[in-house]
Order: sequence, then C-alpha cells, then structure tokens
Amino acid sequence: MRRALPLLVALGLVAAVVLPYLALGGASFEPTPVADPCQVRDWRDPGDVDEVLEQIALSALDGAACVLGVSREDLVLAVRSEESLDAFAEEHGISRDDAEQAVRDGLLRAVEDAEGAGAIGGIVATLARRTVESVPPWLVIETLESLSRFLP
Amino acid sequence: MRTPMLGVAIGMALADSSIVTLALPDVLREFDVGITTVAWVLTSFNLVLAVLAVPAAYVARRRPWEAYVAGALVFAAASLACGSAPSFEVLVGARCVQAAGAALIVTAALDLLSETLRSPERAFRVWITAGILGAALGPAAGGVLTQVLGWRSIFLLQVPVAIVVLIALRGLEAQPLPAPAGRPHLTANLALLLVSGGLVAALFLIVLLLVDGWSMSPAAAGLVVTVMPAAAIAVSRFRPKMGVVTEIASGVILVSGGLAALAFMPRAGWAWTIPPQLLVGAGLGLALAGLTEIALRGRADQVVHGGWTIAARHAGVVLGLVLLAPVLTTALEESREEAIRAGAAVVLDSGIAPLDKLGLAQDVLDEVDRAKGVGELPRVGAVFEGRPDEDEWRSLASALQDQLNRAVTSAFSRPFLLAALLALAALVPIAFMRRRTA
Repeated sequence: MRRALPLLVALGLVAAVVLPYLALGGASFEPTPVADPCQVRDWRDPGDVDEVLEQIALSALDGAACVLGVSREDLVLAVRSEESLDAFAEEHGISRDDAEQAVRDGLLRAVEDAEGAGAIGGIVATLARRTVESVPPWLVIETLESLSRFLP
Repeated sequence: MRTPMLGVAIGMALADSSIVTLALPDVLREFDVGITTVAWVLTSFNLVLAVLAVPAAYVARRRPWEAYVAGALVFAAASLACGSAPSFEVLVGARCVQAAGAALIVTAALDLLSETLRSPERAFRVWITAGILGAALGPAAGGVLTQVLGWRSIFLLQVPVAIVVLIALRGLEAQPLPAPAGRPHLTANLALLLVSGGLVAALFLIVLLLVDGWSMSPAAAGLVVTVMPAAAIAVSRFRPKMGVVTEIASGVILVSGGLAALAFMPRAGWAWTIPPQLLVGAGLGLALAGLTEIALRGRADQVVHGGWTIAARHAGVVLGLVLLAPVLTTALEESREEAIRAGAAVVLDSGIAPLDKLGLAQDVLDEVDRAKGVGELPRVGAVFEGRPDEDEWRSLASALQDQLNRAVTSAFSRPFLLAALLALAALVPIAFMRRRTA
C-alpha cells in the first residue's frame, strides 16, 4: 500500500485537473453545430420591412436546404462562386430540376413561416403562394443571380 | 565555469530538436514547399540524432575531448549552412549534419562533465537537466528569434555560442573509458522512447496552439511554456523519496494525465494550459530522470548508455512527429469545415444589415482561403478592420473568434489524446522493469 501511494497521488492530481475540465465542457468545446434546416426557427419581431424580407429569405434558404438534405450554411457557401456551386452540385448529385424544386419549396415554406409568425397577413400570403407556384423557379433563380451582380 | 558551459552546449544541441517549430511557416513560405515537406526540417534532425547517438558515443568514449571539438566544429559549420541555406534541400541536408555534430557534443559532454564535476552521479544530473531544459525551451526560444530577427537567426546565433563554449572549455581533458560498454537497458530505453513520443505534443503542439492557434506572440507563448521546464526542474530537485520504478510510473501517469487534460480544455486561453503543463512538467522531471538513471545505473560506460538514451528519446520524437502530424493536419482540415459552417451561421443570424452580411461572409471566406494558402489560421481581426465600431459588429467579431477558437482547440484535442495514450503505453515496459527489479 505504501509503495502504491505515489501512484495514487499522481492519479489524484490528474483527476483534480481532468475532472473539472470535463465538468466545464472540455469534451464538447468545438464549433457550434448548425441548426437543422427542417426545424422552424423562432421568428424575430421585425422592426421594419427590410427585416421581414431578410427573415423570409433566411426561411426560404432553410426550406430549400431541408429539401436538398444539406444545412442552410452549406447552401449559402455553395452560391459564393460558380466553382463552389458546381462542386456542391456534384458532391450532392443535384440537377437543375432539383434546384428549382428546392427553391420553390423553400419559398413556399418561407411564406408559411411568415404567415404563421404574423409577419404578413393572410391575403398577402395567398398572393405570395400563387406567385411562387405560377412563376417558373428558373426565373426566380435567374432574377436572384442578376440581383447578386449588384451586390458588393 | 566549465560545467555551466557544458550545460549550455548540451541544452543548445538538444534544443535544436524542437527550436524551429515556430519558424516552420516562414520556412514554408520562403522555400514554397508543402506542410508535410517542411516538417522534414524537424524530423531530419531528430532522425539523424537517433541513428548517430550510439556510434557517436562509441567515438566519444575513446577520445572525449577530440569528439567534443569535432562535434562543436561540425555543429557550428552546419548551423552556419542552415542559416544561409539557399534552398530547402540544402537546409535539410545541413540539419542532418548539424544532428551529427549534436550527437558528438551531447555524448562527449557527459564524459567531460564527469571530469569537471568529479562525480558521475552529479554529471548525470547536470546532463539530464540541461537536456530537459534545452528541449523544453527550444520552441519558445526559436519563436522569439523568428519574431524578432527572422528564422535564419535561430541557426546563425548558434555559431558564436558553439565557438565561445569551445574556447571556454579548451584544455579540458578526460580519460578514455577502457571497460566494455555492455548491452543497453532495453525496457528503460523503450519506455523513454514512448514517453518522448508523447512529449512531442507537450513540446511542439502547445507552442503551436498558443501562437498559431490562439494568436499569442511568440515571446508571450515562450513565457507561458516555461511553466513546464520549471515544474520539471522543481520536481527533479526536490524528488520525494520513493523507489525509482514507482517514481517513473508516477511520472508517466502525470505526463499522460497532463496531455489528456490538454485534450479536454474547456475554453481557449493560455491560463487553461497551466495546470496540464504543471502535470506534464512534474511527470517529465520524474520519468525522464528516473528512466535515464535506470538506463545508466550499474553500467561502467555512462557515455555509451547515455548515447542509447539519446537515441531512444529522439527515436520517440520521430515516432511522435510521424504519428501526430497527420492526425493534427486531418483534424485541422475537418475543424476548418465545421468552423466555416458555424461562422456562416453566426453571420446569417447576426443583427447587421443583410447586404453587410453578404459582404462580410465573402471577406471571411477570402481570409480563410488566404490563410489556408500560406499554412496559417485565419485572422478574424483582419476581416473586421475598417468596419463600423458598433456593438453589433463587435459582438459578431467576438462570436466569430469564439467559433475559430473552438475549432482550433478541438482540432488539437485529438493529437493531445493520442500523445497521452503513447506516453501511457510506457507503463508496459515499466511493468516489466518492476518485475525485474522486484
């Protein structure tokens, strides 16, 4: 027992450092996992029209990402350049039709989320839904691509 | 005066095994080589030292002073060649020659210390302490020199030091050792190899994490990592009375536990490295001193057996580098992807204007690409230069820095844990040692 005492002291010292580190979250100090895009996020109380539009855009992104089975962040990172978009499409086996369908579903979900949160009224929501369903998604995508040229 | 000079020579020669750690990004940029290739600046030195330590010891036991002089001159010439290397190939070649000189210096110095101290026991203590100090302070010293004078100064400054020490030692004579050297102590040297493999994480990775990961200046990081050698010296000076095998096993548990604690740091920040460093340092003082003592005890020829311990330690460093470097590289790559995703989420959820978000996200990704190209970690501060000095921007910068810290710290966690297991594996040969000494 006397011979084992130094070993026990060493083990005690190690435990005195490692256990508090683990208790403070040492095993999970890593980048925050991104949220599941299929879960509806809390809708912030919008201060102005810009914020409503931004939240609709983010909700649409969530919806499209959910359909494609990726995170919202992956989708945003994919559209930063043509190369990254091609790589993303190849990696996930996504065609133009898939992208169009994802955009349509994303926009419909955004309208639903906005209406559910009371950010837009029922009449506006119905009109928006009709627009999404009747306007070809490629037009939406190309309009977004055109708009992106004016961004900084 | 001669004993401290020999201590300086041993410390400097062994510091070279880790001194260029923080200079590697600069070397990589200057010679335009890859990350795996640049690691040869470290690996080549340790590999050649591991291979040549025993042959150098056989030379040193026959002609200690001549071996020392030859070693110091070769070391100085090779350091000059490293410091003025026109190409990467010349640098690695010169590092190999430098290691050959270091092998002669370190092994011959053990015999010369016995002469200056007139006690093999005290000579061994000074030899091991100087070696531990040199290896532990190497990365920090190299970092400070790189920051202040550039990476070449690390090598160029060693030239006058080697020459001045040689001049100070002139006239020193030591008797050749006539007795046969005998077989090396296998279990002690195997345990030394495994503990040294684990210690690579403590000697190299902590400094890399502090400077490259958490953006500390090399000088400040140097100050932080002095905790480890200080703890090692304190423990080896005031060693509690216990059996040497128990002392070694306790030391291995402390080293391994300290490395595991580094793998589980709950926040980013130098203060979190202090308790683990104290454990590793205390364990280093107990385990390395005890193992070297067992490897040399009862053997007539300390020089050759000292050579075996150097060979085992540096073979362990090579093993550690070979095992841990790819694990770190892969973990950093994975964490990079996670951090980019987490950073994108932070930007999208922030309170800044939508168009600002797009511009900022683009700048963050450009910085990530730039940093990857030069083998660095992205600098969040650089992205926010010239941005509005408002609460929303400040909290966004802080949230992005937090995600980066999380990514870097968690990437280092895997190699620290692997190093802890490597050090812990030393308990197996130590158990055999206990059986033999029982």
